[in-house]
Amino acid sequence: MVLTADFADAQSVASAIRALKARGYGADEIDVFSTAPIQEAQALLERPSRMSLVAITSAVVFCLSAIAFVHYTQHDYRIVTGGMPIFSWWSTGVIFYEFTMFGSLTATFVMFLLESGLLQRGRAIPAPRLEEGRIYLRLICQAGDAVPAAEYLYEAGAAKVDEIEERP
Amino acid sequence: MDTAVATRADNLRATLWRPLTGASRAYIAALALTFLLGAWGLACWGYQIFRGIGVAGIRRPTMWGFYLVNFVFWIGISHAGTLISAILRLTDAGWRKPVTRIAEAITVFALMIGAMFPIIHLGRPLVFFWLIPYPNSRLLWPNFRSPLLWDLTAIVTYLSGSIIYLYLPMIPDLAELAQHSTGWRERFYRLLSIGWTGSDRQWHALERAMHRMAGMILAVAVSVHTVVAWDFAMAVAPLWHSTIFGPYFVAGAIFSGIAALLVVLSIIRRLLHLEAYVLPVHFDNLGKLLFLMSLLWFYFTVAENLTTWYGNSPAEMNVFGSRVRGPFAPYFWVMICCNFVLPFLLLSSRRMRTIRNVTIAAFTVLIGMWLERYLIILPTLSYPRLAAATGFYEPTWVEISITASTFAAMVMFYLIFCKLFPAIAVWEYKNGSHR
Repeated sequence: MVLTADFADAQSVASAIRALKARGYGADEIDVFSTAPIQEAQALLERPSRMSLVAITSAVVFCLSAIAFVHYTQHDYRIVTGGMPIFSWWSTGVIFYEFTMFGSLTATFVMFLLESGLLQRGRAIPAPRLEEGRIYLRLICQAGDAVPAAEYLYEAGAAKVDEIEERP
Repeated sequence: MDTAVATRADNLRATLWRPLTGASRAYIAALALTFLLGAWGLACWGYQIFRGIGVAGIRRPTMWGFYLVNFVFWIGISHAGTLISAILRLTDAGWRKPVTRIAEAITVFALMIGAMFPIIHLGRPLVFFWLIPYPNSRLLWPNFRSPLLWDLTAIVTYLSGSIIYLYLPMIPDLAELAQHSTGWRERFYRLLSIGWTGSDRQWHALERAMHRMAGMILAVAVSVHTVVAWDFAMAVAPLWHSTIFGPYFVAGAIFSGIAALLVVLSIIRRLLHLEAYVLPVHFDNLGKLLFLMSLLWFYFTVAENLTTWYGNSPAEMNVFGSRVRGPFAPYFWVMICCNFVLPFLLLSSRRMRTIRNVTIAAFTVLIGMWLERYLIILPTLSYPRLAAATGFYEPTWVEISITASTFAAMVMFYLIFCKLFPAIAVWEYKNGSHR
């Protein structure tokens, strides 16, 4: 069962989230939709993120791969270096640095796509159509809990609570 | 329905999305003119490929001419956007809102143009892909020790990062545009908005990603122009082999980048009627930054030239002399006027920092910075260590045409961009409106 509550301001949404969390609903069951970011909702829902960890891991992987690749290519076809080393950290450090940053940038972008859910095509639960100045709270609950949950939402200041159908 | 918020949002959309619809005669004329100039540049490049690189003015000893000057100049301009936008985002400067997207778009277009020049400069541009490390039929690998390969990796990283950095904060606007558009525009915006619904997960992920990317892109932007500086500094050539070339180039790039941003901001403000959003305070703040960078640039220039003069090395003094009192002196002193004297006069006092004066100062800085790139490259090549090899360079009509066409291409890209995407982020203005 999916409920969508319509709110006029961020404080009411924050109250609703607090009330729902107090009654055992988790961040996975609650989504807030708006035409601009709502800091209060983001702070209360505390969604975990692995973006930094993945970005750093990707940076290390890209850096090590670049080192291995450059080392291999420089030894695979040896260019005359006039007595200088075939493989040198000084002369290839820039390449490693750029690969490191490239890995970090692309990983951040990929993590954005994953964590925002933009890559999840054909979602079962439709998102509400946004109207300017309104904030929508979507709650996934058991069919039997829908009535009390709607009451909590009205108590928190929802102007309207609708039940919406999940896509098959 | 909260009518006040809705009305404000309607007004925002009405103003910021107005340029997306319809096209005035002036717009079509400007687009046609820049397209023709761009096409002329491509034709000239085709002529150069057909006849050979000899149709350009580059010849021994000046093997780098306008093309490399333009390369360094455009890469410098590219620092306008991503770098300035990243600094403003990281410091959470409240006045950044109308500036960031305009700046980020400059970066992408300037990088695209700048990255073309090493290829145009190649004698056999059709085999430029030999730079890409892949196991080819000759079993050769590119020489990763070469600064040319450093350039390739740095520019590819910066361009990829800048495109992502421009695209990410545009997604919410694209979704809203899709909701309010019809026909091909709706399909186009819906495709680009990749299913954005405005959920808190998406906003949270966007803000996290933008914050992290701002930090990363700063590091990449600094590295890119340092690498461009090292293209020169790694050669044991008079006045190139300098330890301060990296920071000198980065400072110059930020300087020219701010100038480009101010010129574009001024034009866009007038043409797209964004007077209510791009305010005098933006020009005042960016004018202060430009003034600061002008002082920093002057400090670096004095430091670079003073140490050369005291060193009194014959090879370096040849180049130094050619710059300050020889054949390149007119360019040198015009550069000093454009990059230091005029900005000092126009930007040092608050009363003088009007929109018009800041724009004039920024325009002169662009001229001065192009001349600076010219003066870094040409005198050193014209007066190499072997005195008998001295030679002069004069650009040909092919090089001048290609140079002019890239400026036209920049304008054309921007005209198209402003017709397809809002120049200012609507959602950033709505941020906090729910409180």
